[in-house]
Amino acid sequence: MEFARRDGPRRVLDRISLDLRRGEFLTVVGPSGTGKTTLLRLLGGLTPSTQGAVHVNGRPIDGPPAGVVIVFQDYSHALLQWRTVGRNVAFGLEGRLPRDEIDARVRDALRLVRLEAHTADHPWQLSGGMQQRVQIARALALRPAVLLMDEPFGALDAMTKATLQDELLRLRDATGSSIVFVTHDIEEAVYLGDRVAVITGAPGRIGRTVAVDLPKPRDQIVTRQLPRFLELRYLLHQAIGQSEHA
Amino acid sequence: MPDVRRLLARVNWPGLGTIALGFLLWELLLRAGLAHYQNLPPPSVIAGALVEITRNGELLADALHTLRVVLVGWVAAVAIGVVSGLILGVSATLRDYSLASIEVLRPMPGIAFAPVALLLFGFSLQMELMVVILPALWPVLINTMGAVAGVHARLFDVGRTFRLSGAETLRKIMLPAALPGVLVGARLSLTLALVLAVVAEMVGNPAGLGYAVVREQQAMRPDLVFAYVVAIGALGVTLNAALTGAVACLFPAASGRLREAT
Repeated sequence: MEFARRDGPRRVLDRISLDLRRGEFLTVVGPSGTGKTTLLRLLGGLTPSTQGAVHVNGRPIDGPPAGVVIVFQDYSHALLQWRTVGRNVAFGLEGRLPRDEIDARVRDALRLVRLEAHTADHPWQLSGGMQQRVQIARALALRPAVLLMDEPFGALDAMTKATLQDELLRLRDATGSSIVFVTHDIEEAVYLGDRVAVITGAPGRIGRTVAVDLPKPRDQIVTRQLPRFLELRYLLHQAIGQSEHA
Repeated sequence: MPDVRRLLARVNWPGLGTIALGFLLWELLLRAGLAHYQNLPPPSVIAGALVEITRNGELLADALHTLRVVLVGWVAAVAIGVVSGLILGVSATLRDYSLASIEVLRPMPGIAFAPVALLLFGFSLQMELMVVILPALWPVLINTMGAVAGVHARLFDVGRTFRLSGAETLRKIMLPAALPGVLVGARLSLTLALVLAVVAEMVGNPAGLGYAVVREQQAMRPDLVFAYVVAIGALGVTLNAALTGAVACLFPAASGRLREAT
């Protein structure tokens, strides 16, 4: 996939070239202001590219492609607050599938994110982490080929974040969806990804792409202590050219 | 039985007590001769007058007339207000063209149009409806427009990533997201519609509760004047309660958010 974009006179992304393989978990890491969200909106067909194109299965896209769905960071705005959890998850399926098929898929998706007990609740009755799981379930109910996630855990506390990271890895194994996961958290990028693409600068460019050769399944304590994990973390810090605390 | 107890628990007893105390004071001051106004009847006399007009059926006939004007006018105002508010909420271009006109028309006291309505339609129901509909439409229009324009941009992103059509976006995202705003407008509009109907009957069409107040004033029957005023107040309270109840039944989720908004 290649694209470049000019937003007015401002170039946000420049000479980006990225491939996403089937079933791959690709994390894109970079500081804020490098066009990570723009990249994801391009991939999801929400923003048309000014130069270059996004291809899905070899065909250039024109608007949001079928089988590709975005999970947004701000779950409270992205969920339909007037609908129950179950009806939120059904949102993308209504009018496209028979009633009983929708019910079955909603049940499956909610079971995957372990929220089946909250089907009848409204989003505002749930914690932030649970609301984000509802949004993930809503995307999964479509059985998407590609899941695009825009810093989905950025607004959550560290413990919830760790839980959801492991849950997401489990979901990927259960569904086989390809995932593009955008984050500014280097450790998260290494922990989750099969491959990490570094995006830096303004306009944003893909610096280097690093294959993550860490053993699976990953473990919050064991994996994060592996010398290879620390090595990869160091490598990515170098690539981004800034300290962890900046 | 627990239902009755819950209902009783929700009644604002101190508030009702204040009202009762006010009436008692009014009654006592007049009876003791401490306050002396020739045409101010005590509450007990007003209550008697209420019984009188209820018995002879005049109250029911007048109330039904006013109720019909309020409901027809309000429904028309809500329909016009919601449709135009939706259109203006969606289209920034149309908003640019029409907002100036709206801002000029809206603050005009609607009742100032009563003489025009009288000239156009004479002493008729149409005259009353014009006086009701024109001003009652603004709260609905403005609130609907604001609610639609205020739908969070992220929801449109969600609609697009799930590949919704334009009609689906309207039905599944914009309308439900704007509903609380529409309901706020509809509620303001209902209160306004009653006031306008009564005034239209006072200055224009000789019918309904508004005209009854003027009629009894000219007949030098202050007790009946007050009885009709009380009836108008009761109609207002009833209409508001009916709407609140209907909203709570029809849109339980929206009514919760509505309570926060008002």
